[in-house]
Amino acid sequence: MIHLLVSVKQVPDTTNIRIDPETGSMIRKGVPAILNPYDAHAVASAAEWKKKLGGKLTVVTMGPPAAEEALQECIEMGADRAVLVSDRAFAGSDTLATSYVLAEAIRKIDQEDHVDMVFFGKQAIDGDTAQVGPGVAIRLGLPLVTYAVEIQDINEEEGYALIIRKTESGKEIIKTKLPAALTAEKAIADIPYAALPDLITSLKYKPEVWSAQEPVAYDVAQIGLEGSPTMVAKSGSPEAHEPAETISVEENGLAGAVETALGKMLSNTSVAALLEDQQ
Amino acid sequence: MSKDKLQYDVIVVGAGMAGSTAAAIAAREGLNVAVIERGVKPGSKNYFGGALYTHALVDIYPDFFDRKPPLERPVTETGFWFLSDDGLVKATVQGGVVNSDPIDAYVALRAEFDPWWAEQAVAEGAFIIPKTLVEDFLYEDGKVVGVKTDRPEGDVYAPVVIVCEGVNNLLTQKLGLIDHDLKISKTALAVKQMISIPAKDINARLGLPDNNHGMAISVMGDVSMGLAGLGFLYTAKGALSLGVGVTLDALQESGIKPYELLQRYLEHPAIAPLIKDGQMMEYGAHLIPEGGWTTMPRLYTDGVLVAGDAASMVNALHWEGTNMAITAGKQAGLTAVEAHKKGDFSAKSLSTYQDKLSDLFVLQDMKQYRKFSAFLKNHPQFMDIYPTFINDALGMFFTGFGKPKRKLYKDILRSLTSRRPLFKAIGDIIAFGRSIIGI
Amino acid sequence: MTRRFWVFIEQNHGEMHPVAAELLGVANCLVSEVADELKASGEEAVVEGILVGHDVDNVAKEALMYGAERIYHVDDPAFEHYLNRPYTEALTHLVEKYKPEVFLIGATTLGRDLAGAVATSIKTGLTADCTKLEMGPFRKIEKKLLLATRPAFGGNVIATIVCKDHTPQMATVRPRVFETPVRNPKAKGEIIQESFEVTPEMMAAQLVEFINDQTTNLNLEYAEVIVSGGKGLGNSKGFELIKELADELGGVVGSSRAAVDGGWIDYAHQVGQTGKHVRPKLYVACGISGAIQHKVGMQDSDYILAINTDPQAPIFEVSTLGVVGDLYEVIPEMIKQLRAQKGASA
Ligand SMILES: Cc1cc2nc3c(=O)[nH]c(=O)nc-3n(C[C@H](O)[C@H](O)[C@H](O)COP(=O)(O)OP(=O)(O)OC[C@H]3O[C@@H](n4cnc5c(N)ncnc54)[C@H](O)[C@@H]3O)c2cc1C
Ligand SMILES: Cc1cc2nc3c(=O)[nH]c(=O)nc-3n(C[C@H](O)[C@H](O)[C@H](O)COP(=O)(O)OP(=O)(O)OC[C@H]3O[C@@H](n4cnc5c(N)ncnc54)[C@H](O)[C@@H]3O)c2cc1C
Ligand SMILES: Nc1ncnc2c1ncn2[C@@H]1O[C@H](COP(=O)(O)O)[C@@H](O)[C@H]1O
Repeated sequence: MIHLLVSVKQVPDTTNIRIDPETGSMIRKGVPAILNPYDAHAVASAAEWKKKLGGKLTVVTMGPPAAEEALQECIEMGADRAVLVSDRAFAGSDTLATSYVLAEAIRKIDQEDHVDMVFFGKQAIDGDTAQVGPGVAIRLGLPLVTYAVEIQDINEEEGYALIIRKTESGKEIIKTKLPAALTAEKAIADIPYAALPDLITSLKYKPEVWSAQEPVAYDVAQIGLEGSPTMVAKSGSPEAHEPAETISVEENGLAGAVETALGKMLSNTSVAALLEDQQ
Repeated sequence: MSKDKLQYDVIVVGAGMAGSTAAAIAAREGLNVAVIERGVKPGSKNYFGGALYTHALVDIYPDFFDRKPPLERPVTETGFWFLSDDGLVKATVQGGVVNSDPIDAYVALRAEFDPWWAEQAVAEGAFIIPKTLVEDFLYEDGKVVGVKTDRPEGDVYAPVVIVCEGVNNLLTQKLGLIDHDLKISKTALAVKQMISIPAKDINARLGLPDNNHGMAISVMGDVSMGLAGLGFLYTAKGALSLGVGVTLDALQESGIKPYELLQRYLEHPAIAPLIKDGQMMEYGAHLIPEGGWTTMPRLYTDGVLVAGDAASMVNALHWEGTNMAITAGKQAGLTAVEAHKKGDFSAKSLSTYQDKLSDLFVLQDMKQYRKFSAFLKNHPQFMDIYPTFINDALGMFFTGFGKPKRKLYKDILRSLTSRRPLFKAIGDIIAFGRSIIGI
Repeated sequence: MTRRFWVFIEQNHGEMHPVAAELLGVANCLVSEVADELKASGEEAVVEGILVGHDVDNVAKEALMYGAERIYHVDDPAFEHYLNRPYTEALTHLVEKYKPEVFLIGATTLGRDLAGAVATSIKTGLTADCTKLEMGPFRKIEKKLLLATRPAFGGNVIATIVCKDHTPQMATVRPRVFETPVRNPKAKGEIIQESFEVTPEMMAAQLVEFINDQTTNLNLEYAEVIVSGGKGLGNSKGFELIKELADELGGVVGSSRAAVDGGWIDYAHQVGQTGKHVRPKLYVACGISGAIQHKVGMQDSDYILAINTDPQAPIFEVSTLGVVGDLYEVIPEMIKQLRAQKGASA
């Protein structure tokens, strides 16, 4: 029986973001929260392998009570158990503190029921840091495969997995001993459209909620603001620029506009030199 | 039936105003109700002006205000603004009748109100299934016994289905309750923007004493670029909602793009200062059924009831839609409860739904206003000539100093008659009166 | 005490990644920003490179030429291919030994994989994908801190992050965010061999096979000329025209995310916050509106020409020159005129 675990995060849908012009902070009101897209693909992949091998799929998140919805979505995709680690004491955690909280939660789950593989998303789209997965893996002493695009095999008996990861110059096939950790690209699996009975099950599902004391007694010095070495010194909107000079085709005619534009462009010595080299 | 089939007492399609109301009422009476909504959440696909009407809300939940609903501002000032191309005449009321307790109408944001309204239904015991599209019905012996959704293993059964699918009433059409698809001459497209502006600026610009005062304004005249339609302005707490609705056919004929219409409105010299330095929060377009009585489907058949926009229950002139949807939703819910008591879900048994609505403002108003949308289409002068005339007339009245007043009145009259002969103008007024009185 | 400013020297099969040179340049700027403090305290500050690999002495020498005073080099056959665990352990060991003040790593695929693990292992803060780095005062703290600025929330917010009571202060930076410093072939410096024992436990994951993939090896970041197409192309065929112009200008093809999302072109071509950060000499943006997430990826280009039908398009805010017109008219005309010019000069 394989036991797969996915660490997921609920994020504001950054395609829909509004910034308060006065404070420069994000207006959360009315911004929908979604399951981090990469995490959704990680869950989909884990669910496929669970189905293939037979076993169990657990998801865990650290977040506010509303993150329950993200967990329900994982249940909908085929997770069997969901744990929400939620406590005011965690507020303000940066990636270092977050990786501590998650690592201890996963350790606890592993004690109850041995975990073979831990999945993360490649990155969370709110912070785009891609640090939590590697951080948790190191804390748990797990071998790590980042940017996974395909799981070729999970061999529970012999205790290894074959994972393809994508790098800048190509693809690497990595063989890792189990237990192991990976961070997933979207390509790892397609999001399934759940059957209606599964959706209904997920809607009725209530995740377990863990606090900062129970069942894991967290070290307060390592969580929340206190446990976070980084802090935001200031934030604001990106600076505005003056618009460029423009040449209009409507006013100058096509040939004229292009001629003027090319003329101006080539009067820039570095551009002219570039095109010179070309010839 | 292989596995356990999904079986409920009532299925409601759509978690809008009508759907969540129908579900709450039926669930309150102990029925097992499933609401199927295609959006990620109730309200996620809904836009509107807009104001909600207290009478309908309190009718469903007498303790409505104690439940801390997400409302923006009470409507303490309402009426018409008439725009000429560069002027504005305001005809609004405040105080007096409008200052009732509780206030008659509240501005709300659907993205916040709909989920809350749905939650109240859940509290009554209804079950909401989001992210699922109802595609068709399930029939047995020619009678509807449930719905087919777009999900695998997606059939859901119930002896009665309440269809509250909103304006784009594909399911209602599928049932043959109406013999045509959306009529473009009887459907308006409303485009709107929510523009966030600090509350104190809104108050200063509109002359509102504080955040507990707000406006719901219908705007006529230059706003619709001569097309049959109306503009609106609603005040949220820290935002203004501004939009224009025009009928689809007029839009199509004119070739004007919806956003151009809205842009023009927002740039109007009387409107632009109101939204200065505001930030666009959302842009949306939504259809409004305007045919009223003339495009109303049959409201029931074997195992099915239809309520809200799906049944064309909108009064375009008064911006009434949510209250009709709520009231009709309630009656549909009650009818489903009775049908369960009788154990009879036939069209005949469900026909009491129509009787109930006939006794209420819903069908009475629909019938009375049945000529209004045709009137609007045939009298474009209400969109440009008259609003401009009102601007001119009032302007002249208060600026014609030193002119003999007899001459002034003549000039004023001429500013009308130069655009529209007097007898025609009188005819227009009568036609307007008839269209709303319904004779 | 010596204040150490460290740069991870990323290498791939014996070749130094250009981002390492860029970071060495930044590290030297950071050192100059604390000159006043050094003067007052009598301390010294150095830029040092950290190199892990097997048989890569040439890389160590290369790094010296871009401004490292010293290279700490860990050499072991186990480091031939990058693997998270052994690399993390090696870096952790060095950090614990030398206690650097600042540690910069390239935000490449490899660097991102590594940085998060190293920071966690030494329990310090890490700021990812910085677009600006400086040493500056923070509150009442005696010494200047690394002020790391980065976009957040999809580029809608710019935040400056500090790491105040932990060292090293770590940051990752994407390739091409900073300029490449001048290479000085005469630069001298020391290369110190560090010993480090790789245990079998660290090798739990191993590379089985590497599949070279040319399509992802576009080298967009380091192209001198990029012609990018966006949603304004209307369809995937439009990229043929873009390619034609790119060929004419001797450049490569880039794109906005909207074009990638439309399935018109591979993700490897995407420029912007979630694509590549570029700074070519010439960037031509065709049918791209200029959303903030696109702009952050290309606004450092030397010369930006934008072609767009909409005179209000925000892309013009970062452009050097704009042509307001239909790209399907403007580009063919441009190609025609460029060819005519070539013909004339040939
Ligand atoms: C711009 C604008 C301004 C308005 N201003 C006002 C105003 O000020 N006051 C007022 O009272 N009214 C106003 N209205 C009208 C009012 O919004 C509607 O009359 C009211 O929302 C109708 O409610 P409903 O429940 O019938 O439909 P909706 O609220 O549209 O709900 C229908 C629901 O069904 C779901 N659905 C549809 N098809 C399916 C399917 N096949 N399967 C699953 N789910 C489905 C939809 O996602 C939606 O949630 C305005 C409308 C507009 C567009
Ligand atoms: C978290 C996050 C990360 C993102 N990351 C990136 C990223 O890395 N890179 C990126 O590019 N985007 C990114 N985006 C998306 C970004 O917000 C924009 O949606 C995207 O850049 C728009 O692409 P576009 O300019 O091609 O399309 P549009 O915004 O649709 O613009 C098309 C432009 O083409 C013009 N046009 C149309 N027809 C013609 C014609 N015939 N001739 C000339 N001009 C024409 C139009 O006027 C318009 O300006 C990200 C978004 C989010 C939320
Ligand atoms: N609060 C959290 N709870 C659970 N998992 C998280 C959390 N934050 C980040 N992760 C996981 O770590 C990945 C990388 O996140 P990040 O480092 O924030 O980009 C995500 O895709 C998640 O899988």
